[in-house]
Amino acid sequence: MASASPPGSLTDHDEVFRLVFEAAPNGIVVIDAQGTIVLVNRQAEKMFGYERQEFIGLRIEDLVPKRLRQAHVQHRKGFSENPSQRVMGMGRDLHARRRDGSEFPVEIGLTPVKFPSGMLVVSSIVDTTERTRTENELRRYAAELERSNADLRNFAHVASHDLREPLRKITAFGERLRKHCAGSLDERGCDYLQRMTDASHRMQGLIEDLLAFSRVSMHRLPVQDVDLDKVLDTVLEDLEIRIGETGAVIERATPLPTLQADRSQMGQLFQNLVSNALKFHQPGQPPRLIVSAACPSPRRVRLEFQDHGIGFEPQYAERIFGIFQRLHGRQEYEGTGVGLAICRKIAELHHGSITALGKPGTGATFVLELPLHQPTPPAS
Amino acid sequence: MSPANTILILADDDPDDRLLTREAFEEAGYQGTFQFVEDGRQLLEYLDHSRKSLPGIILLDLNMPRMSGYEALSELKADQALRRIPIIVLTTSSADEDVLRSYDLGVNSFITKPASFQELTEVAKRVIDYWLETVKLPPQH
Repeated sequence: MASASPPGSLTDHDEVFRLVFEAAPNGIVVIDAQGTIVLVNRQAEKMFGYERQEFIGLRIEDLVPKRLRQAHVQHRKGFSENPSQRVMGMGRDLHARRRDGSEFPVEIGLTPVKFPSGMLVVSSIVDTTERTRTENELRRYAAELERSNADLRNFAHVASHDLREPLRKITAFGERLRKHCAGSLDERGCDYLQRMTDASHRMQGLIEDLLAFSRVSMHRLPVQDVDLDKVLDTVLEDLEIRIGETGAVIERATPLPTLQADRSQMGQLFQNLVSNALKFHQPGQPPRLIVSAACPSPRRVRLEFQDHGIGFEPQYAERIFGIFQRLHGRQEYEGTGVGLAICRKIAELHHGSITALGKPGTGATFVLELPLHQPTPPAS
Repeated sequence: MSPANTILILADDDPDDRLLTREAFEEAGYQGTFQFVEDGRQLLEYLDHSRKSLPGIILLDLNMPRMSGYEALSELKADQALRRIPIIVLTTSSADEDVLRSYDLGVNSFITKPASFQELTEVAKRVIDYWLETVKLPPQH
Protein backbone atom coordinates (compact mmCIF):
# COMPACT_ATOMS: atom_id res chain seq x y z
CA MET A 1 0.00 0.00 0.00
CA ALA A 2 2.94 2.28 0.75
CA SER A 3 3.89 2.34 -2.90
CA ALA A 4 0.40 3.42 -4.00
CA SER A 5 0.29 7.16 -4.44
CA PRO A 6 -2.95 9.04 -4.27
CA PRO A 7 -4.17 10.08 -7.68
CA GLY A 8 -2.75 13.43 -8.64
CA SER A 9 0.55 12.99 -6.77
CA LEU A 10 3.69 13.78 -8.67
CA THR A 11 4.67 10.20 -9.25
CA ASP A 12 1.64 9.29 -11.36
CA HIS A 13 1.04 12.73 -12.75
CA ASP A 14 1.54 11.71 -16.34
CA GLU A 15 -0.68 8.67 -15.93
CA VAL A 16 -3.52 10.77 -14.48
CA PHE A 17 -3.30 13.20 -17.34
CA ARG A 18 -3.26 10.39 -19.86
CA LEU A 19 -6.35 8.83 -18.29
CA VAL A 20 -8.17 12.15 -18.19
CA PHE A 21 -7.21 12.79 -21.81
CA GLU A 22 -8.45 9.38 -22.88
CA ALA A 23 -11.64 9.56 -20.84
CA ALA A 24 -12.61 13.04 -22.03
CA PRO A 25 -16.15 13.04 -23.49
CA ASN A 26 -14.99 15.32 -26.31
CA GLY A 27 -12.87 14.12 -29.18
CA ILE A 28 -9.40 15.64 -28.82
CA VAL A 29 -7.05 15.97 -31.77
CA VAL A 30 -3.66 17.63 -31.38
CA ILE A 31 -1.80 18.89 -34.44
CA ASP A 32 1.60 20.43 -34.98
CA ALA A 33 2.38 23.66 -36.77
CA GLN A 34 2.25 21.90 -40.14
CA GLY A 35 -1.21 20.51 -39.54
CA THR A 36 -0.12 16.94 -38.92
CA ILE A 37 -1.99 15.00 -36.28
CA VAL A 38 0.32 14.08 -33.43
CA LEU A 39 -2.06 12.97 -30.69
CA VAL A 40 -5.70 11.81 -30.46
CA ASN A 41 -7.87 10.40 -27.68
CA ARG A 42 -10.24 7.47 -27.65
CA GLN A 43 -13.33 9.59 -28.28
CA ALA A 44 -11.70 11.07 -31.41
CA GLU A 45 -11.03 7.56 -32.72
CA LYS A 46 -14.63 6.62 -32.13
CA MET A 47 -15.91 9.82 -33.72
CA PHE A 48 -13.86 9.65 -36.90
CA GLY A 49 -13.56 5.86 -37.26
CA TYR A 50 -9.76 5.68 -37.47
CA GLU A 51 -7.53 3.27 -35.55
CA ARG A 52 -4.95 5.18 -33.57
CA GLN A 53 -1.97 4.03 -35.64
CA GLU A 54 -3.52 5.25 -38.90
CA PHE A 55 -4.85 8.41 -37.23
CA ILE A 56 -1.44 9.70 -36.12
CA GLY A 57 0.34 11.26 -39.03
CA LEU A 58 -2.83 12.17 -40.99
CA ARG A 59 -3.20 15.80 -41.96
CA ILE A 60 -5.94 17.68 -40.13
CA GLU A 61 -7.53 18.41 -43.52
CA ASP A 62 -8.21 14.67 -43.83
CA LEU A 63 -10.89 15.24 -41.18
CA VAL A 64 -12.46 18.08 -43.17
CA PRO A 65 -15.03 17.51 -45.96
CA LYS A 66 -13.26 17.67 -49.33
CA ARG A 67 -15.08 20.77 -50.50
CA LEU A 68 -13.89 22.74 -47.47
CA ARG A 69 -10.25 21.61 -47.37
CA GLN A 70 -8.81 24.49 -49.38
CA ALA A 71 -10.51 27.04 -47.14
CA HIS A 72 -9.45 25.16 -44.05
CA VAL A 73 -5.77 25.45 -44.95
CA GLN A 74 -6.25 29.22 -45.19
CA HIS A 75 -8.11 29.37 -41.85
CA ARG A 76 -5.35 27.33 -40.25
CA LYS A 77 -2.67 29.74 -41.56
CA GLY A 78 -4.65 32.65 -40.17
CA PHE A 79 -4.88 30.90 -36.82
CA SER A 80 -1.15 30.12 -36.58
CA GLU A 81 -0.29 33.76 -37.33
CA ASN A 82 -2.56 34.89 -34.52
CA PRO A 83 -3.04 31.94 -32.19
CA SER A 84 -5.52 32.30 -29.36
CA GLN A 85 -8.00 30.10 -27.55
CA ARG A 86 -11.26 30.32 -29.46
CA VAL A 87 -14.27 28.54 -30.79
CA MET A 88 -13.73 27.52 -34.39
CA GLY A 89 -15.89 28.87 -37.17
CA MET A 90 -18.14 31.03 -34.99
CA GLY A 91 -21.52 31.46 -36.62
CA ARG A 92 -20.81 28.86 -39.30
CA ASP A 93 -22.16 25.33 -39.51
CA LEU A 94 -19.05 23.18 -39.13
CA HIS A 95 -18.86 19.68 -40.51
CA ALA A 96 -16.25 16.98 -40.05
CA ARG A 97 -15.49 13.95 -42.23
CA ARG A 98 -15.25 10.37 -40.97
CA ARG A 99 -12.89 7.75 -42.35
CA ASP A 100 -15.73 6.35 -44.49
CA GLY A 101 -16.34 9.77 -46.05
CA SER A 102 -19.58 10.50 -44.20
CA GLU A 103 -20.00 13.91 -42.57
CA PHE A 104 -21.31 15.05 -39.22
CA PRO A 105 -21.92 18.46 -37.64
CA VAL A 106 -19.39 19.51 -35.02
CA GLU A 107 -18.45 22.21 -32.61
CA ILE A 108 -14.72 22.74 -32.15
CA GLY A 109 -12.72 24.62 -29.54
CA LEU A 110 -9.12 25.47 -30.44
CA THR A 111 -6.33 25.95 -27.90
CA PRO A 112 -2.78 26.76 -28.99
CA VAL A 113 -0.07 25.32 -26.72
CA LYS A 114 3.53 26.52 -27.00
CA PHE A 115 6.37 24.04 -26.61
CA PRO A 116 10.09 24.75 -26.96
CA SER A 117 9.99 22.63 -30.09
CA GLY A 118 7.10 24.58 -31.61
CA MET A 119 3.38 25.21 -31.30
CA LEU A 120 0.75 22.52 -30.98
CA VAL A 121 -2.95 23.15 -31.43
CA VAL A 122 -5.40 21.18 -29.33
CA SER A 123 -8.85 20.79 -30.94
CA SER A 124 -11.66 19.71 -28.71
CA ILE A 125 -14.46 18.34 -30.87
CA VAL A 126 -18.13 17.75 -29.99
CA ASP A 127 -20.36 15.77 -32.36
CA THR A 128 -23.56 17.87 -32.46
CA THR A 129 -25.59 15.49 -34.65
CA GLU A 130 -28.06 14.73 -31.89
CA ARG A 131 -28.28 18.32 -30.68
CA THR A 132 -28.68 19.70 -34.20
CA ARG A 133 -31.41 17.16 -34.88
CA THR A 134 -33.23 18.09 -31.66
CA GLU A 135 -32.83 21.79 -32.40
CA ASN A 136 -34.16 21.36 -35.92
CA GLU A 137 -37.05 19.30 -34.62
CA LEU A 138 -37.88 21.94 -32.02
CA ARG A 139 -37.66 24.68 -34.61
CA ARG A 140 -39.93 22.76 -36.96
CA TYR A 141 -42.34 22.03 -34.15
CA ALA A 142 -42.47 25.70 -33.13
CA ALA A 143 -43.08 26.75 -36.74
CA GLU A 144 -45.83 24.16 -37.10
CA LEU A 145 -47.43 25.30 -33.88
CA GLU A 146 -47.32 28.92 -34.97
CA ARG A 147 -48.83 27.97 -38.32
CA SER A 148 -51.61 25.91 -36.80
CA ASN A 149 -52.38 28.71 -34.34
CA ALA A 150 -52.57 31.15 -37.21
CA ASP A 151 -54.83 28.72 -39.09
CA LEU A 152 -57.08 28.46 -36.08
CA ARG A 153 -57.30 32.23 -35.69
CA ASN A 154 -58.08 32.61 -39.38
CA PHE A 155 -60.58 29.80 -39.19
CA ALA A 156 -62.53 31.42 -36.37
CA HIS A 157 -62.47 34.73 -38.20
CA VAL A 158 -63.47 33.43 -41.61
CA ALA A 159 -66.00 30.97 -40.24
CA SER A 160 -67.76 33.59 -38.21
CA HIS A 161 -67.82 35.97 -41.16
CA ASP A 162 -69.34 33.36 -43.42
CA LEU A 163 -71.73 32.14 -40.75
CA ARG A 164 -73.09 35.63 -40.34
CA GLU A 165 -74.37 35.71 -43.91
CA PRO A 166 -77.03 32.98 -43.87
CA LEU A 167 -77.97 33.97 -40.35
CA ARG A 168 -78.71 37.52 -41.43
CA LYS A 169 -81.12 36.08 -44.01
CA ILE A 170 -82.81 33.79 -41.48
CA THR A 171 -83.36 36.78 -39.22
CA ALA A 172 -84.57 39.01 -42.04
CA PHE A 173 -86.94 36.46 -43.61
CA GLY A 174 -88.20 35.59 -40.13
CA GLU A 175 -89.19 39.23 -39.77
CA ARG A 176 -90.84 39.18 -43.22
CA LEU A 177 -92.70 36.01 -42.32
CA ARG A 178 -94.01 37.48 -39.10
CA LYS A 179 -95.09 40.68 -40.79
CA HIS A 180 -96.75 39.18 -43.84
CA CYS A 181 -97.83 35.68 -42.86
CA ALA A 182 -98.53 35.94 -39.13
CA GLY A 183 -102.24 35.97 -40.00
CA SER A 184 -102.07 32.53 -41.56
CA LEU A 185 -100.18 31.03 -38.62
CA ASP A 186 -102.01 29.74 -35.55
CA GLU A 187 -100.81 30.54 -32.04
CA ARG A 188 -98.43 27.60 -32.00
CA GLY A 189 -96.97 28.59 -35.37
CA CYS A 190 -96.37 32.12 -34.12
CA ASP A 191 -94.65 30.69 -31.02
CA TYR A 192 -92.37 28.54 -33.19
CA LEU A 193 -91.54 31.53 -35.32
CA GLN A 194 -90.75 33.63 -32.25
CA ARG A 195 -88.46 30.92 -30.85
CA MET A 196 -86.71 30.62 -34.20
CA THR A 197 -86.15 34.36 -34.40
CA ASP A 198 -84.89 34.52 -30.82
CA ALA A 199 -82.48 31.68 -31.48
CA SER A 200 -81.09 33.32 -34.57
CA HIS A 201 -80.58 36.58 -32.66
CA ARG A 202 -78.70 34.61 -30.02
CA MET A 203 -76.56 32.99 -32.64
CA GLN A 204 -75.79 36.39 -34.06
CA GLY A 205 -74.55 37.39 -30.62
CA LEU A 206 -72.39 34.27 -30.38
CA ILE A 207 -70.84 34.91 -33.77
CA GLU A 208 -70.15 38.56 -32.96
CA ASP A 209 -68.44 37.48 -29.77
CA LEU A 210 -66.50 34.73 -31.50
CA LEU A 211 -65.29 37.35 -33.95
CA ALA A 212 -64.35 39.65 -31.08
CA PHE A 213 -62.46 36.78 -29.46
CA SER A 214 -60.53 35.94 -32.63
CA ARG A 215 -59.82 39.63 -33.23
CA VAL A 216 -57.99 39.80 -29.89
CA SER A 217 -55.18 37.65 -31.21
CA MET A 218 -55.40 38.79 -34.84
CA HIS A 219 -55.24 42.54 -34.44
CA ARG A 220 -52.46 43.43 -32.10
CA LEU A 221 -51.03 46.90 -31.84
CA PRO A 222 -47.44 47.59 -30.82
CA VAL A 223 -46.97 47.91 -27.08
CA GLN A 224 -46.56 51.35 -25.55
CA ASP A 225 -46.52 52.82 -22.07
CA VAL A 226 -50.08 52.64 -20.84
CA ASP A 227 -51.28 54.48 -17.74
CA LEU A 228 -53.78 52.06 -16.22
CA ASP A 229 -55.37 54.85 -14.16
CA LYS A 230 -56.29 56.56 -17.42
CA VAL A 231 -57.51 53.28 -18.88
CA LEU A 232 -59.84 52.82 -15.93
CA ASP A 233 -61.01 56.46 -16.19
CA THR A 234 -61.96 55.91 -19.82
CA VAL A 235 -63.74 52.65 -19.11
CA LEU A 236 -65.73 54.24 -16.29
CA GLU A 237 -66.70 57.11 -18.60
CA ASP A 238 -67.83 54.66 -21.27
CA LEU A 239 -69.89 52.73 -18.73
CA GLU A 240 -71.25 55.90 -17.09
CA ILE A 241 -74.86 55.22 -18.03
CA ARG A 242 -74.92 51.67 -16.70
CA ILE A 243 -73.06 52.73 -13.58
CA GLY A 244 -75.69 55.42 -13.06
CA GLU A 245 -78.60 53.07 -13.72
CA THR A 246 -77.34 50.39 -11.35
CA GLY A 247 -76.14 52.86 -8.68
CA ALA A 248 -72.80 51.09 -8.74
CA VAL A 249 -70.00 52.18 -6.43
CA ILE A 250 -66.55 51.76 -7.92
CA GLU A 251 -63.58 52.49 -5.70
CA ARG A 252 -59.94 52.80 -6.57
CA ALA A 253 -58.10 51.67 -3.45
CA THR A 254 -54.63 52.50 -4.81
CA PRO A 255 -53.29 54.39 -7.80
CA LEU A 256 -52.75 52.09 -10.77
CA PRO A 257 -49.35 51.83 -12.42
CA THR A 258 -48.15 52.53 -15.94
CA LEU A 259 -46.96 49.49 -17.85
CA GLN A 260 -46.11 48.40 -21.38
CA ALA A 261 -49.15 47.03 -23.19
CA ASP A 262 -51.47 47.23 -26.15
CA ARG A 263 -53.57 50.21 -25.05
CA SER A 264 -56.83 49.15 -26.67
CA GLN A 265 -56.55 45.63 -25.30
CA MET A 266 -56.02 46.99 -21.78
CA GLY A 267 -59.17 49.03 -22.31
CA GLN A 268 -61.08 45.94 -23.39
CA LEU A 269 -59.73 43.92 -20.45
CA PHE A 270 -60.76 46.56 -17.90
CA GLN A 271 -64.10 47.11 -19.59
CA ASN A 272 -64.91 43.39 -19.45
CA LEU A 273 -63.94 43.13 -15.79
CA VAL A 274 -65.90 46.22 -14.76
CA SER A 275 -68.92 45.15 -16.84
CA ASN A 276 -68.75 41.77 -15.19
CA ALA A 277 -69.01 43.36 -11.76
CA LEU A 278 -71.89 45.56 -12.92
CA LYS A 279 -73.75 42.53 -14.20
CA PHE A 280 -73.29 39.97 -11.44
CA HIS A 281 -74.30 42.05 -8.42
CA GLN A 282 -76.42 40.78 -5.55
CA PRO A 283 -80.11 41.11 -6.30
CA GLY A 284 -81.45 44.24 -4.67
CA GLN A 285 -78.01 45.63 -3.93
CA PRO A 286 -76.08 48.06 -6.13
CA PRO A 287 -72.86 46.65 -7.60
CA ARG A 288 -69.69 47.44 -5.69
CA LEU A 289 -66.19 47.06 -7.10
CA ILE A 290 -62.79 47.81 -5.58
CA VAL A 291 -59.83 48.07 -7.90
CA SER A 292 -56.33 47.98 -6.45
CA ALA A 293 -52.76 47.41 -7.55
CA ALA A 294 -49.67 46.01 -5.87
CA CYS A 295 -46.17 45.16 -7.07
CA PRO A 296 -45.24 41.70 -5.80
CA SER A 297 -41.89 42.04 -7.62
CA PRO A 298 -40.10 44.93 -9.34
CA ARG A 299 -41.06 43.51 -12.70
CA ARG A 300 -44.67 42.56 -12.21
CA VAL A 301 -47.87 44.22 -11.17
CA ARG A 302 -50.82 42.55 -9.52
CA LEU A 303 -54.23 44.10 -10.06
CA GLU A 304 -57.31 43.08 -8.15
CA PHE A 305 -60.90 43.64 -9.16
CA GLN A 306 -62.87 42.73 -6.10
CA ASP A 307 -66.65 42.81 -6.30
CA HIS A 308 -69.37 42.11 -3.77
CA GLY A 309 -71.61 40.36 -6.23
CA ILE A 310 -73.11 36.91 -6.40
CA GLY A 311 -69.71 35.16 -6.56
CA PHE A 312 -69.39 31.57 -7.73
CA GLU A 313 -68.60 28.08 -6.49
CA PRO A 314 -64.80 27.73 -6.21
CA GLN A 315 -64.79 24.69 -8.49
CA TYR A 316 -65.81 26.95 -11.38
CA ALA A 317 -62.83 29.31 -10.91
CA GLU A 318 -61.17 28.00 -14.09
CA ARG A 319 -64.24 27.20 -16.11
CA ILE A 320 -65.47 30.78 -16.19
CA PHE A 321 -62.50 31.73 -18.39
CA GLY A 322 -63.46 29.22 -21.09
CA ILE A 323 -65.07 30.54 -24.24
CA PHE A 324 -68.91 30.40 -24.21
CA GLN A 325 -68.88 29.16 -20.61
CA ARG A 326 -71.78 30.42 -18.56
CA LEU A 327 -72.67 29.58 -15.00
CA HIS A 328 -76.19 31.00 -15.18
CA GLY A 329 -79.21 30.56 -17.37
CA ARG A 330 -79.90 33.02 -20.14
CA GLN A 331 -83.03 34.15 -18.33
CA GLU A 332 -81.02 35.22 -15.28
CA TYR A 333 -78.08 36.97 -16.91
CA GLU A 334 -77.66 37.82 -20.56
CA GLY A 335 -74.40 37.36 -22.43
CA THR A 336 -72.61 34.65 -24.36
CA GLY A 337 -69.76 33.88 -21.99
CA VAL A 338 -66.93 35.37 -23.99
CA GLY A 339 -65.96 38.38 -21.85
CA LEU A 340 -63.70 36.54 -19.43
CA ALA A 341 -62.26 34.34 -22.19
CA ILE A 342 -61.18 37.55 -23.90
CA CYS A 343 -59.70 38.80 -20.60
CA ARG A 344 -57.62 35.67 -20.28
CA LYS A 345 -56.50 35.86 -23.90
CA ILE A 346 -55.38 39.47 -23.44
CA ALA A 347 -53.54 38.66 -20.20
CA GLU A 348 -51.75 35.75 -21.85
CA LEU A 349 -50.84 37.77 -24.93
CA HIS A 350 -49.19 40.18 -22.52
CA HIS A 351 -47.27 37.34 -20.81
CA GLY A 352 -49.45 37.66 -17.74
CA SER A 353 -52.23 35.71 -16.11
CA ILE A 354 -55.70 36.13 -14.72
CA THR A 355 -57.36 34.01 -12.07
CA ALA A 356 -60.55 34.28 -10.11
CA LEU A 357 -61.34 33.70 -6.47
CA GLY A 358 -64.89 33.49 -5.36
CA LYS A 359 -67.53 32.24 -2.97
CA PRO A 360 -71.22 32.12 -3.67
CA GLY A 361 -72.96 35.08 -2.12
CA THR A 362 -69.87 36.99 -1.06
CA GLY A 363 -68.41 38.13 -4.37
CA ALA A 364 -65.58 37.44 -6.71
CA THR A 365 -62.04 38.75 -7.02
CA PHE A 366 -60.28 38.74 -10.35
CA VAL A 367 -56.52 38.78 -9.94
CA LEU A 368 -54.55 40.01 -12.89
CA GLU A 369 -50.78 39.69 -12.98
CA LEU A 370 -48.93 41.52 -15.71
CA PRO A 371 -45.28 42.24 -16.39
CA LEU A 372 -44.36 45.94 -16.37
CA HIS A 373 -42.28 45.46 -19.51
CA GLN A 374 -43.04 43.39 -22.56
CA PRO A 375 -40.25 41.44 -24.24
CA THR A 376 -39.18 42.93 -27.56
CA PRO A 377 -40.77 40.82 -30.26
CA PRO A 378 -38.25 39.00 -32.43
CA ALA A 379 -37.75 40.68 -35.80
CA SER A 380 -39.70 38.71 -38.35
CA MET B 1 -91.48 60.47 -51.64
CA SER B 2 -88.96 59.52 -54.29
CA PRO B 3 -89.89 60.53 -57.83
CA ALA B 4 -91.33 57.73 -59.92
CA ASN B 5 -88.82 58.29 -62.71
CA THR B 6 -85.84 57.51 -60.49
CA ILE B 7 -83.83 54.44 -61.37
CA LEU B 8 -82.05 52.65 -58.57
CA ILE B 9 -79.53 50.02 -59.56
CA LEU B 10 -78.81 47.25 -57.12
CA ALA B 11 -75.63 45.33 -57.95
CA ASP B 12 -75.58 42.22 -55.80
CA ASP B 13 -74.96 38.57 -56.66
CA ASP B 14 -77.09 37.33 -53.76
CA PRO B 15 -80.74 36.80 -54.76
CA ASP B 16 -81.88 36.91 -51.11
CA ASP B 17 -80.28 40.28 -50.64
CA ARG B 18 -81.73 41.58 -53.89
CA LEU B 19 -85.20 40.58 -52.67
CA LEU B 20 -84.71 41.95 -49.15
CA THR B 21 -83.21 45.23 -50.30
CA ARG B 22 -86.01 45.73 -52.81
CA GLU B 23 -88.66 45.07 -50.17
CA ALA B 24 -86.91 47.32 -47.67
CA PHE B 25 -86.85 50.19 -50.17
CA GLU B 26 -90.48 49.59 -51.04
CA GLU B 27 -91.46 49.63 -47.38
CA ALA B 28 -89.43 52.79 -46.95
CA GLY B 29 -91.54 54.46 -49.62
CA TYR B 30 -89.37 54.22 -52.72
CA GLN B 31 -91.56 54.65 -55.81
CA GLY B 32 -89.04 54.60 -58.61
CA THR B 33 -87.76 51.73 -60.73
CA PHE B 34 -85.37 48.99 -59.64
CA GLN B 35 -82.73 47.58 -61.92
CA PHE B 36 -80.92 44.47 -60.73
CA VAL B 37 -77.50 43.32 -61.87
CA GLU B 38 -75.53 40.42 -60.47
CA ASP B 39 -71.93 41.49 -60.84
CA GLY B 40 -69.67 44.34 -61.85
CA ARG B 41 -69.59 43.38 -65.50
CA GLN B 42 -73.38 43.33 -65.80
CA LEU B 43 -73.43 46.71 -64.10
CA LEU B 44 -71.03 48.24 -66.63
CA GLU B 45 -72.88 46.62 -69.55
CA TYR B 46 -76.18 47.94 -68.29
CA LEU B 47 -74.81 51.46 -67.87
CA ASP B 48 -73.21 51.30 -71.30
CA HIS B 49 -76.58 50.54 -72.88
CA SER B 50 -78.44 53.18 -70.90
CA ARG B 51 -76.41 56.30 -71.47
CA LYS B 52 -79.62 58.17 -72.24
CA SER B 53 -81.30 57.37 -68.94
CA LEU B 54 -78.67 56.87 -66.31
CA PRO B 55 -79.68 55.71 -62.83
CA GLY B 56 -80.08 58.17 -59.99
CA ILE B 57 -78.17 56.00 -57.59
CA ILE B 58 -76.24 52.74 -57.49
CA LEU B 59 -76.20 50.37 -54.53
CA LEU B 60 -73.08 48.30 -54.94
CA ASP B 61 -72.04 45.07 -53.26
CA LEU B 62 -68.26 44.59 -53.09
CA ASN B 63 -67.85 40.86 -53.18
CA MET B 64 -69.30 39.61 -56.46
CA PRO B 65 -68.16 36.98 -58.96
CA ARG B 66 -66.68 37.77 -62.40
CA MET B 67 -66.15 41.45 -61.61
CA SER B 68 -66.04 42.70 -58.04
CA GLY B 69 -67.50 45.94 -56.81
CA TYR B 70 -64.00 47.38 -56.58
CA GLU B 71 -63.21 46.68 -60.22
CA ALA B 72 -66.54 48.11 -61.32
CA LEU B 73 -65.89 51.19 -59.16
CA SER B 74 -62.53 51.86 -60.78
CA GLU B 75 -64.08 51.75 -64.24
CA LEU B 76 -67.11 53.82 -63.28
CA LYS B 77 -65.05 56.55 -61.71
CA ALA B 78 -62.78 56.69 -64.76
CA ASP B 79 -65.77 57.45 -67.01
CA GLN B 80 -66.59 61.15 -67.39
CA ALA B 81 -70.37 60.64 -67.45
CA LEU B 82 -70.74 57.69 -65.08
CA ARG B 83 -68.54 59.10 -62.35
CA ARG B 84 -71.29 61.56 -61.36
CA ILE B 85 -73.74 58.85 -60.33
CA PRO B 86 -73.77 58.52 -56.54
CA ILE B 87 -72.59 55.10 -55.49
CA ILE B 88 -73.41 53.59 -52.13
CA VAL B 89 -71.52 50.50 -51.13
CA LEU B 90 -73.88 48.05 -49.41
CA THR B 91 -71.82 45.11 -48.23
CA THR B 92 -71.51 42.53 -45.47
CA SER B 93 -68.04 43.82 -44.68
CA SER B 94 -67.35 46.32 -41.96
CA ALA B 95 -63.58 45.99 -42.21
CA ASP B 96 -61.58 49.20 -42.11
CA GLU B 97 -59.58 48.22 -45.18
CA ASP B 98 -62.78 47.82 -47.23
CA VAL B 99 -64.13 51.15 -46.01
CA LEU B 100 -60.88 52.96 -46.83
CA ARG B 101 -60.44 51.32 -50.20
CA SER B 102 -64.03 52.11 -51.18
CA TYR B 103 -63.73 55.79 -50.31
CA ASP B 104 -60.34 55.95 -52.03
CA LEU B 105 -62.07 54.69 -55.16
CA GLY B 106 -64.65 57.43 -54.84
CA VAL B 107 -67.80 55.93 -53.33
CA ASN B 108 -70.24 58.36 -51.79
CA SER B 109 -71.29 56.25 -48.82
CA PHE B 110 -70.33 52.97 -47.27
CA ILE B 111 -73.04 50.97 -45.49
CA THR B 112 -72.69 47.57 -43.85
CA LYS B 113 -75.73 45.37 -44.47
CA PRO B 114 -77.64 45.46 -41.20
CA ALA B 115 -78.51 42.30 -39.32
CA SER B 116 -82.29 42.70 -39.41
CA PHE B 117 -84.90 43.66 -41.97
CA GLN B 118 -86.17 46.38 -39.68
CA GLU B 119 -82.75 48.03 -39.69
CA LEU B 120 -82.45 47.56 -43.44
CA THR B 121 -85.71 49.44 -43.87
CA GLU B 122 -84.33 52.25 -41.71
CA VAL B 123 -81.23 52.36 -43.89
CA ALA B 124 -83.39 52.49 -47.01
CA LYS B 125 -85.38 55.39 -45.52
CA ARG B 126 -82.23 57.36 -44.85
CA VAL B 127 -80.83 56.65 -48.30
CA ILE B 128 -84.07 57.85 -49.90
CA ASP B 129 -84.28 60.88 -47.59
CA TYR B 130 -80.79 62.00 -48.29
CA TRP B 131 -79.83 60.84 -51.76
CA LEU B 132 -83.18 61.04 -53.50
CA GLU B 133 -84.92 63.85 -51.66
CA THR B 134 -82.32 66.13 -50.10
CA VAL B 135 -79.28 66.38 -52.33
CA LYS B 136 -79.31 67.74 -55.85
CA LEU B 137 -78.20 65.00 -58.20
CA PRO B 138 -76.40 65.70 -61.46
CA PRO B 139 -78.81 66.25 -64.35
CA GLN B 140 -79.39 63.26 -66.61
CA HIS B 141 -78.68 63.42 -70.31
